[in-house]
Amino acid sequence: MALQYSDPQVFLFLSEILGKRVVNRQNKKIGKVTDLAVGLVEPYPIVTEVLLSPGASSAQYCVPWSKVLEVEKTLRLDDFSLEECRKPESREGEIFLKDTLLDKQVVDTNGAKLRRVNDLQFLKAHNLLHLVHVDVGFRGLMRRAGLLKPLDAFLQASMDYNLTDQFIAWKFIQPLSSPDLLKLKVAQDRLSQMHPADLADIIEDLDIHQRAAVFQSLDVETAAETLEETDPRIQVSIIKDLKPEQASDIIEEMSLNEAADLLADLPRHQAEGILSEMEQDIAEDVKELLALPEEKAGGLMTTAFLSYPPTLTVGEAIEAIHREAEDMDFAYYIYVVDENEHLLGMMSLRELLVSPLDGKLEDMMDTRIVSVTIEEDRKEIANLFAKYGIMAIPVVDDDDRMMGVIIFRNILEIIAPHLGK
Amino acid sequence: MISGIFRTRFWITLSVFFALVGPGIITSNVDNDAGGITTYSLAGADYGLTLLWILVPITFALIIIQEMCARMGVVTGKGLSDLIRERFGAKITFYLMIILFLTNLGNTIAEFAGVAASMEIFGVSKYISVPIAAFLVWLLVVKWNYKSVEKVFLVACLFYLSYIVSGIMGEPDWHQIGTSFVNPSVQFDPGYLAMAVGLVGTTIAPWMQFYLQSSVVDKGIRTSEYRYTRIDVIVGSFTVNVVAFFIIMLCAVTLFQNGIRIETAKDAALALEPLAGKYSSLLFAFGLLNASLFAASILPLSTAYTICEAFGWESSVNHKFVEAPQFYGLYSFMIFLGAGIILLPQFPLIWIMYYSQVLNGLLLPVILIFMLLLINDRRLMGRYTNGWAMNIISWLTVSAQVILSLAMVISLIWEA
Repeated sequence: MALQYSDPQVFLFLSEILGKRVVNRQNKKIGKVTDLAVGLVEPYPIVTEVLLSPGASSAQYCVPWSKVLEVEKTLRLDDFSLEECRKPESREGEIFLKDTLLDKQVVDTNGAKLRRVNDLQFLKAHNLLHLVHVDVGFRGLMRRAGLLKPLDAFLQASMDYNLTDQFIAWKFIQPLSSPDLLKLKVAQDRLSQMHPADLADIIEDLDIHQRAAVFQSLDVETAAETLEETDPRIQVSIIKDLKPEQASDIIEEMSLNEAADLLADLPRHQAEGILSEMEQDIAEDVKELLALPEEKAGGLMTTAFLSYPPTLTVGEAIEAIHREAEDMDFAYYIYVVDENEHLLGMMSLRELLVSPLDGKLEDMMDTRIVSVTIEEDRKEIANLFAKYGIMAIPVVDDDDRMMGVIIFRNILEIIAPHLGK
Repeated sequence: MISGIFRTRFWITLSVFFALVGPGIITSNVDNDAGGITTYSLAGADYGLTLLWILVPITFALIIIQEMCARMGVVTGKGLSDLIRERFGAKITFYLMIILFLTNLGNTIAEFAGVAASMEIFGVSKYISVPIAAFLVWLLVVKWNYKSVEKVFLVACLFYLSYIVSGIMGEPDWHQIGTSFVNPSVQFDPGYLAMAVGLVGTTIAPWMQFYLQSSVVDKGIRTSEYRYTRIDVIVGSFTVNVVAFFIIMLCAVTLFQNGIRIETAKDAALALEPLAGKYSSLLFAFGLLNASLFAASILPLSTAYTICEAFGWESSVNHKFVEAPQFYGLYSFMIFLGAGIILLPQFPLIWIMYYSQVLNGLLLPVILIFMLLLINDRRLMGRYTNGWAMNIISWLTVSAQVILSLAMVISLIWEA
């Protein structure tokens, strides 16, 4: 929805309005502007009230924006009595801009970055102020420091260079300073638009209070995906702040080996508390993984994989995948195992899709399998991935029985930090 | 049985402490940088043991101020420049950061001068030592991650022991030293007072508050673990003054008693050789090298971090160069300019130190007063604001600091 007005449209900055002289109809000074309140309406918040301080005392008064006659060199107000004004406390759906936004950190959901607000830009139309942009650039900082004109003149004269503004449209801004702002429906939509990996980066940069607030505003699924991407140290600190039942809901949604790694890092009593809150079968799987050494193959693998008996036909297998792949975080290969879980062969999904539907898996499968044992060292596993160019490696016990699968992504987390800055 | 439980609990406590230790001890020790060592040496050489007593109130003030910083870091999870920006706005923060940058740049130059001076004692030309030092310091942060950097810093703290060893080698008269503490002799000549102010000024500097609070935040210390951080801060404040004590004492019992006048820490190290032995002299020089390198690594890092945090730029040693250009730009600029100036044939070190100290003296009062306003802000600190007793103590400490800083600025301008 675009703003459409016939009279001239003017852009104004918050920094230009704060501190402005407030006068009455007769141009007599009654105070100066200390803050503006906006109603949080979509797409652009509208200024609803102006906060003014009469000067001498520290008292502040809220005046409705409808009383404002003009915003020029001064802010001229229609007649009103100070007694009518309410006390300056923010109401539902309303925020004070200087108090909650200016100089504070916000999330730029489009650029997936944490930014600091240097200034706010309004569009003035029909005597209403619409908050349209957040200024995060160097020019905004210079405007606040009172150095913008000298800086522009200097750059122009010395290098014939014009510094550009860095504005972010309001629709991509998520304020963080008040937990209430994160509970809004809009906030959840904006944050969940970001990729969990970006969200995780932002969460790592936040302070502890903001971190908890942002995290709790996410839905369980996004929270789990985000948590998987977060630094282990911060994972632990986030989980410590949650109740066991909240934590277990999120951890259940994580992939099994990520969940096991996280629980292994928690203090014992807390990990046990969370496990007891989790669904029985997931908790069992996680416990199995927890028992394995983290540094070896066992600690890298997940126990969720697709395995089918050799006598199944391709068509039946595809149907089965339809049902089961929902619960997998990775489904690229199927493994063919006998009734005692002995690994016989494997097929990629591509091979499966191009095979005749009535063919038996045992006739179609690839029997040249690359597998490792639970005790295999990480470095060796990385070498196997590189040598064979595969997406996942099955893990077997001494008897060649299938235990789990190491997914390429999990080994990447170990290798990537060594790739240099 | 009971002793068994006690013992495990003791070990758990101890291991938690060592996991959280660092910020306080590192910050305090960096404080004994090239400038600090020079001031201590001069204090001992010019006024003997008469200035030793002042270390007691300095330790006290250091604990009071650092404790508040650490507490703010733990409770708010934000750095000091972040809090100042959010509470006092962009304009004042901008100018504070410019002053902080200039004074820290001045200090960085002094650190590289310290590297040059100490390596010259070992017979290495400054045209070799300073470029190598600058490059190593730069590499430390750009190529490593902070966890390993912090370990290197903690090891550097251990090397300050060289001053204690060196001090004991001076064979001091402990009885006489004890007396100087019990009966502090305060003189009222301008030189003595200026030296006293200088001692306080070199120990409590603006950048430390920013560095301490950021590293506490970086460690992710929780309010329930805060008591360990408090111990960290107190231990740090004590060790820094123990080192200061040994330097002043060594110079007092050797140089002062033999009427030798010195101008720099290098003079002190060289003059020690005939009086306290070759090893004492070399240890003194080694201590100066360690202190200078240590502070030269931390000052630019802390400055870049503080400024980026205030202005909302990417600021982490865990980012790549292109992701955090302002951070690495500021950091590299400070190191290479700081080291480069030292290599100029006739670099104006005295002039630089003079202005850097004036700016320091002007900046500190503002920072300390802001700190007190922030720590008493209930919206930020909740129930962790200062109690009334702590408020009286801290306001008195800060007032004394403010008066001393301004006195130093006035005396510096007067002298010029």
